[in-house]
Amino acid sequence: MLRVAGLSLAYDETTPVLEDASLAIDAGSFVSLVGPSGSGKSSLLRAIMGLQRPSAGRIETELAPREIGILFQDDALLPWRSAAENVALGLRLGGESRARAVAEAEIWLGRLGLGGLGDRYPRALSGGQRKRVALAQVLALKPRLLLMDEPFASLDAITRARVTQDLLALVESERMTVLLVTHDLEEALALSDVVYLLSHGPRARISRRYDVPIPRPRDVVTARTHPAFAPLLEALWHDLSREVTGEAVAA
Amino acid sequence: MRRALDRVWLRQLAALVVFLALWEAAGRAGLLNPLYVPRPSAVAAVLLELFGSGTIWPHLVATFSAAMAGLLLGLAVGIVLGIVAALVPFVAEIVEPFMILLNAVPRVVLAPLFVIWFGIDLGSKIALAFILVAVLIFFTVYTGIRQVDRRLVERVVTLGGGRGALLREVYLPSLVAWILGQLKVAVGFAFTGAVVGEFVAASRGLGYLLSFAQSTYNAALMLALVLLIVAFVLLIFALAGRLERRLLRWRG
Repeated sequence: MLRVAGLSLAYDETTPVLEDASLAIDAGSFVSLVGPSGSGKSSLLRAIMGLQRPSAGRIETELAPREIGILFQDDALLPWRSAAENVALGLRLGGESRARAVAEAEIWLGRLGLGGLGDRYPRALSGGQRKRVALAQVLALKPRLLLMDEPFASLDAITRARVTQDLLALVESERMTVLLVTHDLEEALALSDVVYLLSHGPRARISRRYDVPIPRPRDVVTARTHPAFAPLLEALWHDLSREVTGEAVAA
Repeated sequence: MRRALDRVWLRQLAALVVFLALWEAAGRAGLLNPLYVPRPSAVAAVLLELFGSGTIWPHLVATFSAAMAGLLLGLAVGIVLGIVAALVPFVAEIVEPFMILLNAVPRVVLAPLFVIWFGIDLGSKIALAFILVAVLIFFTVYTGIRQVDRRLVERVVTLGGGRGALLREVYLPSLVAWILGQLKVAVGFAFTGAVVGEFVAASRGLGYLLSFAQSTYNAALMLALVLLIVAFVLLIFALAGRLERRLLRWRG
């Protein structure tokens, strides 16, 4: 569904933050990118969205721009629009009438457990509720590929587990393809079919790929008790530690 | 909550009444020289006389229309110039140094020049109120647009929005918030411009009356006029506050 080939990304002319990265995302799979801070994970997502121009390499996809959705780390909801209007925004930009877009937005808010809160402004919502509105905003466009950049990093542990579980259920029922960027190795393994590990930046590379053979549908908590989980986590942790200490040696 | 607020208001009113009563008593006891500090009742009498005889109306109309015309013109020009300068780098290069200069000097120094250019009638007062407001609003809009939240821009773009959508969904609402935030300051500036302009040279207006009161050592008239100006500005503040609450509901 999406192929990244030999991609390099740079903030300035001299040092690429990410170099020669290649990865493939199959339709219907859940793929995670993990790696140290500054390894260019977020930049890779921004490049796929067309928000950042690669300095080398290609991004190939049969998807139209509208079929790719992105959830950023911060909610970035329009403060002057109600929750329902925020969710309806993407639909209206796609040409739907205001009334129909808002009606559909209310359905998505209900699906994400925010029924009846459509009239609230973002300021009057909790962090977890805003995150759900942002998620509804993206999902309402029915993206075939969903990109997520540490979407739940700012949430407390319990809220995070609940939002993640709801998201996983929706992704599995809609057969959505997902590319998730995260710092959290356990989260990556519990959610993903494939995990890519990035080395530390600058000049970060994709250093390994792990396949996660835990069957679906999954539950984010019980997935961690699957026999394949612990050995994979250990291998991932070992490899990541080597990347980080490699950074220390280089410095 | 509501009750507590009412009580604060009551206490403040009570303090004002006590203050005025003490002032009046001190005046009657001969502790204050009426030439410098007239009694509140004398000020009230002047106000009553001004409105009773109707002499105040042409002056009120003159000051009010100069301030409002300057405010509206200043808003219009400040907004348009701010937007254009923020979007077109060439215009910013030309306009920004002028604006920085105008912002750095106390702009009321231009009042005598405006009298020469626009005469002693309404024109010179409108010009002064205008220049005070326009520079303020220009910087509000210019810096505001350049500091608009990038995350909101990217959010709208990734949801499929183009230039028109960005303007409607991000830039215009931000603009309204910044301008309303400065509206009260702008109202104050507009009245400053109008009244100072009337000090310098005029045949009508509250500023003209003030300078007349000064030349005749009429402290009661001065205090009455100051009170009038304060009342007017407060009235417009209240209207601006209503507009703010209506348009910025989302701030909660």
